[in-house]
This record gives sequence, C-alpha cells and structure tokens, in this order.
Amino acid sequence: MTTVSVRYIVNDIDAAIDFYTAHLHFELQMRPNDLFAMLAHGDLRLVLVRPVGPDGPAGGGAPMPDGRMQEPGGWNRFSVEVPDLAAAVEQLRSSGARFRNDVVTGVGGRQIIIEDPSGNPVELFEPILPEAKLSRPAPSSGQPDR
Amino acid sequence: MTPDPLEALRLPIMPVEPRPEFTASLLRRLRGERARVSGRGATVRYFVADLDAAVAFYCDDLGFDEELRPSPSFAMLYRGDLRLLLSVPGRAHALPDGTLPDPGGWNRIVVEVPDLDAAVEALRGRGVRFRHEIVTAIGVRQALLEDPSGNPVELFEPLAGYHERGLKGQ
Repeated sequence: MTTVSVRYIVNDIDAAIDFYTAHLHFELQMRPNDLFAMLAHGDLRLVLVRPVGPDGPAGGGAPMPDGRMQEPGGWNRFSVEVPDLAAAVEQLRSSGARFRNDVVTGVGGRQIIIEDPSGNPVELFEPILPEAKLSRPAPSSGQPDR
Repeated sequence: MTPDPLEALRLPIMPVEPRPEFTASLLRRLRGERARVSGRGATVRYFVADLDAAVAFYCDDLGFDEELRPSPSFAMLYRGDLRLLLSVPGRAHALPDGTLPDPGGWNRIVVEVPDLDAAVEALRGRGVRFRHEIVTAIGVRQALLEDPSGNPVELFEPLAGYHERGLKGQ
C-alpha cells in the first residue's frame, strides 16, 4: 500500500518511467497518457507529470494563474534507502546515471544525489545509525544534522 | 589558566533538549537491542531558509508532528507515513563546486485533506501563500501552496471516482 505521495515534474514521461523502474526499482502502476504516470516504491507513490500550457488539461501539470509554467529540477527530493550505497552507486554509474555530487557521509548515514533524465534530484541513502532508518518512532540521539 | 588559542575556532556547544526518545534509544543501545524499524513510510527532504518558521508552519498549519530537532539546521517531522526532513542549506549539502541547495522548485509532497475548502480557507486566514487556488481535475480537487521558504506543498481532496490505483489526469 502506498501512503505517501510525491509529485515530480518531468519533460518526458517514458524516459522517466524507464529511469525509475530500471534504476530505482519502482513499479509502474499506470500511464494513461504521455502527460501522467504513477509509480510506487514501498509506501512511496511517485506521481509524474509533464508540464502543459494554458490550453492543456487541468491538473497537476497545469501552469499557474500568473502564467508560470512548472518545470523539473530544484533541490527538494524524496530519498530512497539502500543497504549498500557504494555498490548501488557503482552499478548506477556503469549504467550511465548522472550524479550531482559524490558520496557524502553525515552522522546518520551516507548519501548521494542522483538525477533523473529531466534533472530532478533523488537522494540515495544508506543509514549508519539504526535510528536513521526509515521507521516510526525514530528515536532522537541528539545528533547534528545529516 | 592560559586561554586555549583554538577556542575561537570551536563551534558553540548547543544545548540538547533531553527527550524521551533519546532515553529510550540510549537504553536500547546499552542493552544491546536493535532499534525498532518498521520499514514503512517514505522520506522527503525540503530545504528551508528558516527552520523555526518551517517547523511552525508544517506542525501548526499542516498537521505534522515534530519528531526531533537536534540542531538549528535540521528537523525531522512526521505526518502519517511521510517523514519530512527539513534542512537549512549548509556546507554539508554543498556540491563539489560549492553550489548550495536552495528552497523552491515545483516537485512537491502531496497531502490529502478531507475538506479542501475548509483547509484552504483556514490556511489563507493564517496568511499562507498559494501558487494556485483550488482547481478540479479528474477524481480530485487540489490547491498548491507555499511554505514560508517558498517550497510547494500540494493539498488535495478526493472526489467521487477517486481510486488509489485508478487516479487519472491528476
């Protein structure tokens, strides 16, 4: 069951589907047209939309009332937990994936930012502390940010 | 005593609020137990300019719970199965070329509310900015608002015909 929804803006629905399913092991749930797709990864539902102009359909990819078009990119992202970041990075690099940075080691874990074909960031995260794993409750240990 | 010449370079020691979670976590470690890990949920990181303003916004206006705030530049919030990490951009997030992340963009969390009209009215009353007002798509009504740093948050209310797996044209 997917219980958390995140929307990403992409320029090419099929390229994005290929990326998320092949590289990050998402499951394709639906792709009713080339403006919209829905994928799932554990409890995360990823909604992909292609931006449309003022004459396009209403909904998640529509422009703002002031005319601003939506676009991919930025820094906000969801994170995907991997058991072995070094192995995941090596595999992704050999398949041509783009990374924004190198592996960064924080207090809670190691992380790196990968980009989807439209340039959206995805954080890959390998927890070091048990507390940093995706869980509820996530006990505090008074650690600085990671 | 001679002052330590390195003292000026040290970071200030931040007071840490003792929390029940910390005690529980410490006890588990002392006993050699593993942390409780459910494996459920999903994690999203947002960059914010002002951590206090962001925590207040997400907790007071959008119903998140503060899980921990161990430093002035990081907080962890929960809303259901969504774990939201708020980070103030800093050296730890800089790219190799020095570029720092910043808030904004269009990718966003999508938060379900039972009554979108009421939610939008309440949020507007508190001065929350909207990128767009309520629009009706297929199976949903939605609105796009901004947190105090300008990050987008999408609110939606399911309509008749809405299905978790049958959602179209959203």
